[in-house]
Amino acid sequence: MIELHRVWRVFSVGPVKVPALSDVSFRIAKGEFVTLHGASGAGKTTLLRLLYRDDLPTEGEIQVLDYDVPKLARRQVAELRRSIGVVFQDAKLLPGRTVYENVAFVLRVLGTPRREITPRVFDALRAVGMSSRAQAYPTQLSQGEAQRAALARAIARKPLLLLADEPTGNLDEAMAAEVIDVIKDIWAGGTTVLFATHQSTVAAVLRQRTLALQAGRIVKDEG
Amino acid sequence: MLGFLIGEALRDLRRAGRVAVSAILLITLSLAALGGFWLVSSNLGQATDHWRNRVRIIVFLKRDAGGMESQALVERVTAMAGVASVRYVGKAEALGTLKQVLGKDASVADQLPANPLPASLEVTPTAEGATPQGARTLIAQLTALPEAEEVGGGSEWIERLAQGRRLLNLIGFGIGAVLALAAILTVTTATTLVLHQRRQEMEIMRLVGAPEVVVRLPLLLQGMMQGLLGAMIAIWVLIGGYTLASPSLEPLVHQTLGVERLTFLPPDNVVMLMVAGTVLGGLGGLLARGRREP
Repeated sequence: MIELHRVWRVFSVGPVKVPALSDVSFRIAKGEFVTLHGASGAGKTTLLRLLYRDDLPTEGEIQVLDYDVPKLARRQVAELRRSIGVVFQDAKLLPGRTVYENVAFVLRVLGTPRREITPRVFDALRAVGMSSRAQAYPTQLSQGEAQRAALARAIARKPLLLLADEPTGNLDEAMAAEVIDVIKDIWAGGTTVLFATHQSTVAAVLRQRTLALQAGRIVKDEG
Repeated sequence: MLGFLIGEALRDLRRAGRVAVSAILLITLSLAALGGFWLVSSNLGQATDHWRNRVRIIVFLKRDAGGMESQALVERVTAMAGVASVRYVGKAEALGTLKQVLGKDASVADQLPANPLPASLEVTPTAEGATPQGARTLIAQLTALPEAEEVGGGSEWIERLAQGRRLLNLIGFGIGAVLALAAILTVTTATTLVLHQRRQEMEIMRLVGAPEVVVRLPLLLQGMMQGLLGAMIAIWVLIGGYTLASPSLEPLVHQTLGVERLTFLPPDNVVMLMVAGTVLGGLGGLLARGRREP
């Protein structure tokens, strides 16, 4: 499903080279739930961005869903991303649209037939426990609800891989637990999950395989 | 899908607000200027065609020829290249025409001791003979006739009218082009603003793997809508101007240029203006740039 081999990502700040990822290698099999744990600035977001080709590695090989990610043409990048769901720390919901419209938006831009949109949106909203909030606007949602709406948007396309970048970072314990439960349900449905978090408590609660990232290096792979 | 993309473009147009309105107004101005010059030019074209069909060359003869002699002369001139028809006007007929023109003062002509008017040939050239070059050649041939005293008439002034029309077209295109450039830049600015406001939507679209054409099409459509709207307003402005001005201008134009009625732009020109507006707006939408993918 995911395979990284000796991946480096080095940023240039003027004449200074700053490595964000150093010699990172790991493999994640289909159907796995993996927690990527590391402090802020450890390189979690950089690593996730490389997986959905929002950035390119300075060096190394990246395979995701059988795609040789760094070598993809623009059209293939779109193909790859259609199989990946991504959620962020801030839910990134479109402010002028309801929860329903936010989820429907991604289906519409991907050319989903009109008659399939409503049932698929409500399937996704039910899966995250948000069907009763379909007509609410993002400003009317709690942070936990917004995050669950973002998850509904990510899974409405039935992705093979879910990349969650600090989805509980802004949430209190109770809301974080709700979101974690939803993500675990998604995983139970067969989706491979890579869950990035800086919260040790969350990593402990997940009780899954954990990749520990420290200053851009994988320092532990256990579970 | 197209309905969704048009809906997104309309949403963007509302977001662009005043900048979009400025862009639409600039497109209106540029197309109204172009269309206005076009309108004047097409009516001048009518006048040119009208007068080109009425070009006559008059060959004043040294003496009044007799029946057989005048017939032979007419046949000889008719055979020349660039001549459509020839009519012999004898001295008596010329005097009769003069009396008609003088009307109630015709008796003045009767006081003359002798008919001073020369006989003449009224030569109607063909279309080729009525061009500046054709008319020059024909006049040279007619001047060379041994019977000819003097040759008058020609198409120079009609050509000056046609040159004026071409100049008017050039000025129209010039002003239209400058305004069109300004319109493209304004649409580009409006679209760039929308692009910033639309950043989140585009980010989400790219994130979920929407084809690049779907990401950018609403911006292009939004520009095209501004252009089409500007063109439609320009056409309404032209129709309004034409409706208001033509009743008072028509008598003047009739007297000076001989054109009975002023006409509005033909349908194909109206369609061209709308296409031009849409293309202008589309160009502006296309030129707007956002963040590039790695």
